[in-house]
Amino acid sequence: MIAEIYKIFKENNYATIGVCIYLFFILVAIFADLIATNDPLRINFSSSGLSRNLPPSWEYFLGTTSNGRDIFSQLIYGSRNALAVGLSAALAVAILGTIVGLISGFYGGWIDNLIMRLADIALGLPFLPFVIVLAAFLGPSSWNVVIAIGLLLWPNAGRIIRSQVLTLRERGYIESAKVSGCSNFRIIFLHIAPNILPLSFLYGSIAIGWAILTEASVSFLGFGPSDVISWGYMLQDAYSSQALSLGAYIWFIPPGICIVLMVVAGFFISRGYEEILFPKIKK
Amino acid sequence: MRKKLIAIFAGLISSLILPFLVSSASAEEVRSMKLWAREQAAGPAPHTAALIIAQTLNELGLDITVNAVPWPQMADQVWYKRLDEDTWDLTMWQMVSRPERSDPDEFTYNLFHSSTAEKGYNFIGYVSSAYDELAEKQRVTMDPDARKQIVDQAQQLLADDAANAYLVHPLLNFAYDNTQFKDGSAIEQAGLGIKNIWTYLNIEPINGNNDLVAQSLDEIQAINPFFISGGTDSWITEIVWDRLLRIGPNGTPQPWAAESFNWVNEQTIDVTLRSGMSWHDGQPVTTEDVIFSFEAPMDAEMVPMYSPFVKNIESMEDMGNNVVRFNLKSSNAAFLTSTLAKINLVPKHYYGPIIDSLKGTGNNAETIIEEKRIGSGPFKFVDWRQREQVILEANSGHFNPPKINRWIMKEIPNVEAALGMFRKGEVNFLTDYKGDPAVLANIVEEDGDITLVKSVDVGFQYMAMNHRRAPFDDVNFRRAVSLAIDRDVMVNAAWAGNAVKAGSHISPALSFYHKDGITEFETGIDLAKKILEDAGYTVKNGRLHYPEGVSEKH
Amino acid sequence: MFDFWSIVRRFLYMLFVLWIVATIIFFMFRLMPGSPLTAFIGTTFTDEQHDLLVKRFGLDKSLFEQYTLFIVNTLKGDFGLSFTYNKPVINMIIEALPNSIILTLFSLVIAYIFGVIAGAYLAWKRATFIEGFSIPIVLTTRSAPEFWLGMIALAFFSFQLDIFPSGGTSAAGVIYETTLSKLTSLHFYYHLILPSLVLALYLQGLPLLLMRSNMLEVMQEDFVTMSKMKGLSSWRIVIYHAARNALLPVATAFTLGVGFAFGGNVVIETVFSWPGLGRLLVFAVSSSDYPLAQGAFIFLTAILILMNFLADLLYLFLDPRVSYKTKN
Repeated sequence: MIAEIYKIFKENNYATIGVCIYLFFILVAIFADLIATNDPLRINFSSSGLSRNLPPSWEYFLGTTSNGRDIFSQLIYGSRNALAVGLSAALAVAILGTIVGLISGFYGGWIDNLIMRLADIALGLPFLPFVIVLAAFLGPSSWNVVIAIGLLLWPNAGRIIRSQVLTLRERGYIESAKVSGCSNFRIIFLHIAPNILPLSFLYGSIAIGWAILTEASVSFLGFGPSDVISWGYMLQDAYSSQALSLGAYIWFIPPGICIVLMVVAGFFISRGYEEILFPKIKK
Repeated sequence: MRKKLIAIFAGLISSLILPFLVSSASAEEVRSMKLWAREQAAGPAPHTAALIIAQTLNELGLDITVNAVPWPQMADQVWYKRLDEDTWDLTMWQMVSRPERSDPDEFTYNLFHSSTAEKGYNFIGYVSSAYDELAEKQRVTMDPDARKQIVDQAQQLLADDAANAYLVHPLLNFAYDNTQFKDGSAIEQAGLGIKNIWTYLNIEPINGNNDLVAQSLDEIQAINPFFISGGTDSWITEIVWDRLLRIGPNGTPQPWAAESFNWVNEQTIDVTLRSGMSWHDGQPVTTEDVIFSFEAPMDAEMVPMYSPFVKNIESMEDMGNNVVRFNLKSSNAAFLTSTLAKINLVPKHYYGPIIDSLKGTGNNAETIIEEKRIGSGPFKFVDWRQREQVILEANSGHFNPPKINRWIMKEIPNVEAALGMFRKGEVNFLTDYKGDPAVLANIVEEDGDITLVKSVDVGFQYMAMNHRRAPFDDVNFRRAVSLAIDRDVMVNAAWAGNAVKAGSHISPALSFYHKDGITEFETGIDLAKKILEDAGYTVKNGRLHYPEGVSEKH
Repeated sequence: MFDFWSIVRRFLYMLFVLWIVATIIFFMFRLMPGSPLTAFIGTTFTDEQHDLLVKRFGLDKSLFEQYTLFIVNTLKGDFGLSFTYNKPVINMIIEALPNSIILTLFSLVIAYIFGVIAGAYLAWKRATFIEGFSIPIVLTTRSAPEFWLGMIALAFFSFQLDIFPSGGTSAAGVIYETTLSKLTSLHFYYHLILPSLVLALYLQGLPLLLMRSNMLEVMQEDFVTMSKMKGLSSWRIVIYHAARNALLPVATAFTLGVGFAFGGNVVIETVFSWPGLGRLLVFAVSSSDYPLAQGAFIFLTAILILMNFLADLLYLFLDPRVSYKTKN
C-alpha cells in the first residue's frame, strides 16, 4: 500500500504538487495561532476611530475589512475551516460510499435494491439548491455542506465500489474464504475492503474540492454562518462591503486564490491517482 | 414510610448544603445572551453596529454573542415568540421612512402603547400607564402646538425609562447623473430625501434624455392598489394611483386630488374633489369612485392591509358639487396623513367588478393580477418584467404632469451591480443605496457629474430590549446598557459618519415634533459601570451578577 | 434491442423519485425555523390581519392535511399562491424558466464546443510544452468559485472596459412583447454573453478531459499505427475514431450537465442579476415563501431527474453493448 502510494508520487508530478499544497495548508492551519497577527474576528479601533478599509501595513499585512478586521489573519484562519469542511466531507463520502458499496455489492438482493433506489433519490436532488434548503432548515453552519455532501454524493462512490465488489466476489480467494467458514463481516472488511480502498480514497479526494467550493457558494448567497471565518465568508463579506468598487483587490483576490489552490490540489491528487488506478478497474 | 424517609433525608441534606447555596446564589450570574441581527448582506452598517455593541457590552461583564439570521427567523423570534419561555433578549431593529410616517402618531402610539404589547408592534413589552395617557392624548389633540407639547413629554418619558437603545437616524443617500438631469431639479422631502413623487414630477431631463431610470435592491412583489407589499412596491403604487392628499415636501399633508378640505367639526371633514381629472382609460374621476376607494378597504377580508387605515371612518356622504363628507368615529389628528393621504383612488367601473368576482372565492383583492393597472396618477403603468424592470409612462393629461417621459425601475439584487450600472449610466438615478456611503462618496468625486443628496431619515435604527425578562425589567439595567453604547462610535464607525445620533423615535427631520436636546446625553462604559454598581450589580470572575436577592425567575 | 416496458417502468419510477423528493422538501420547509408571516408585520399590522393570513396560507390546518392538499394540488399542476407575491407559483416559474434554460444551454454549448476541440488538440499535442501548460490551467478554471470569476469578469469587462452590460436581460426601458420576441432578440443575447462565458469557463473542463482521454486511447490502438503505415492521413482517422468513441461519454456528460448546471446556476444568476429559477428559489427560501420555494425546487428536481433519465436512454440508443434487459 505504502509502496503503491510512493510510486504514484514518483511517477506523477501533479500528485506531488497537490500533496505539497495540502501539506502547506495543513501546516498553516495547525500553526494558525502563531502565524496570524490578530484575532480575525476582533473589530480594531485606533485613536482616529474604527480601523476600516486600511491598506496593507506592518500591523495588518493585507489591510483591514470594512468592519475593521484583519484580512491576513482571516485568510490564515480560513484554512482551518476549509480543511475541516473539506476533509470531513471527504471522510463522509469515502466512508458512506465504501460501506454502502460493500454491503450492496456483497449481499445483493433486496438490500442492494433498496440501496440503489436510495441512490436514485439522492442523485435526483439538485445539489446546490438542496444545500441552500438544508442551511435554512438546520440554521447557518459550515457543517451543512458536509452533511449535504455526505447525503448526496455517496452514490457516485457507492455505485463504482459496488461494481468492483461484484467482480471481486467471484474471485477464487473469496470463495475459499467462504468455504473455510469466514463470517461475512470478516470477508467484507478483511478480504474485499482493502482492494477497494484506493477507490474510496479517489472519491474522497474529489469530495474535498466539492465541499470547499460549495461552502464558498453557500456563504456567498448569505446562508453561511456569520461568526466562523472561512474563505467563502471572506468573499461574501468583501462582496457585500463593495470591495470591487473600493478597488480592494487585496481583500477579495487572496481568498479566491486560496480556494483555487486547495481545490486544484484535490484534482491533481485524484488525477494522479486515476492514472494509476484506471488501468486496473477498466473492464 | 419510604416517602417520609426521603423527606427527612432531603431535609438533612438541604440544611447542610443550603448555607453554601445561599452564599453562592445570593448573587445570581446574568445569563449569556444573544443579540439578534440580520445578516450582513441585508445591511452592513447595522451588522457592524451589532458586532461593536456586543464587544462593548461584554466589557460590562455580560456574555453576548451576535446571532445574525435572515429576517423570517429573526422576526419570528422577536415578534411571534415574544411570550415564549426562551424568547429573545436583545435585537437590532429598524423603522424605515415612509411618507405617512411624517406624522408622529404611528410611531408614538403603535410602538409603545400597552395595548400593542401582547400582539402589536410593542414587541419590547413596554407598559406604562403614564405613557399610554400621553399617546392617547396626542392622537385626539387637534391643535398642533398643544400636540407638540404632549409628543415632547412622550419622548422624554421614553428616554427616562430607557425604553429602547436608540442608535442613529441614518442619512439617506440618493444620487443622480447631472448630465442627464438638471442639477438641483430634484426636490427634497423632509425625512425621505430626494426619492419622492415631487422629484419625479419636477426633475428636468436635459441633453436629450427622456427617462428616469431608478433602481431597487429589493424585488417588487406586486403593483396593486389594494395590497401593501414590499417597500419598493409603494414607490410605484404611489405614483400610478392618486390620493386625495399628499404629504408635501415639508412633511405635512396638502391637497392633491382633493382641491381643498374643510373640517366641519372635529369628527367631520368635507373634501372637494378636483374637477376635470380622468383615469388612465379616459373615464372621468367621480365622487362615486372616491367613495368606492374608501369603502372597498372597509371589508377587512377583501382588502386586509388597508383596512386599519379606514377603520375610523363611520360613513361617507356625497354632498354634491364634487364634495365628499367623511364622518369619523372619533377625532384623530393623524387622519389626514394616515387615511386621506394613504388610500389609493381607484376607478369603480374597473375594480368594482373585479372585487365582486372575488367574493366567496377565498381569494382577496391582494391576489388581483390585472393586465391593466388603472389609476389617475401622474404616471401610467406600461410593463413589468418580474425581477427585472418596471416601466411607467408620463400621464400628460394629469393636472401636474411630470417633465420626464418614462419612469423606469430596474430590480438589481446586489448593491455592487447597482452601483456599477449607475456609474455606467445604465441607471441614472440611484434610488436604493444600502451600501457603504464612503464608496459612493468616492465615486461621486471621481465621476464629477453626479449630484449626491444626503438627508436625515425619518426612520431610525435601534437596539431593542425585551422588557418582559430580567434583567431588562430593571430600568437601571436598561439605562446602563443603552448608555454603555457610545453614539459617536455608532455614527462614525458603524455608519461611517453617514448618520446622526438618535435619542427618540422622532427624527430631527421632523423638526416640529422632534424634541430638542433629546440626543444629548453622556455615554461611556464607565458611566454604565457606575449605574450598574449603584443599582447593586456586581462583577465576579469577569461576569456580571444580579443584585442580592434578585433572580432571573420570579 | 430495447424493451419498451422497461422504459415505461423507468419513467414511472422517475415519478416516484419526484414524489419522494417533493415530500422531503415539503416537510423540510414546514419544520424550518422562521415564519412566512414575518413579511407582513408592521406598525399597523393587526391580530385580525394575522388570523386572515394564517387561514389564507392554510397554516391553520394540521401538517398532514397541508401535505395531502399539497400533493393533490401538485398532481393537478397547481403549486398554489406565492405568499409574498400573491401570484400563482406556476406563473412565476414559467416566467423564470426560459431564462434559466437559455442560460444553461447556451453556456453548455459553448463549453462543449470549446472543450471537444481543445481536448482533441491537447491530445494531439501530448507530452509537449503546450499540454503541460494547459492541463493545469483547465483544472484551475474548474477549481475557481463561479461567483468569484463572475465578480472579476463583471469588474473588468463591464465596469472597467464597458464591453458588456452588467446584468439583467435587457437595458432599461426595453420591452420584450413575448417570450419568443425576447429569445429572438440580439439585445437579449448581448446580455447573455458574459454570464454564459463565465459559466462555460467552469463547465469546459469535463468535455475537454473526456475528449482528450478518448483521443489518447484511440491513438494508442493498432489500427492507427497500421493506417499510418498505409500512408493514410492519420489525423483524419484519429479524429474520426476518437469522435465516435467520445460521442457517448460526451453526449451523456452533456445531458447530465444540463440537469446539474440548472441547479448550480443559482450563484451566477445572483451575480449577474439574471432572473432565473435559481434566484427565485433563493428569494423564496430566505423569505420562507413555502409554495414558491417548493415549486421552484420541484421544477429543478424534475429537470435533473428527466436529464438523468435521458442520459440513460442515450446509453441505450448509442451504446450497442448496453440494453435495458441485460442491465437490470
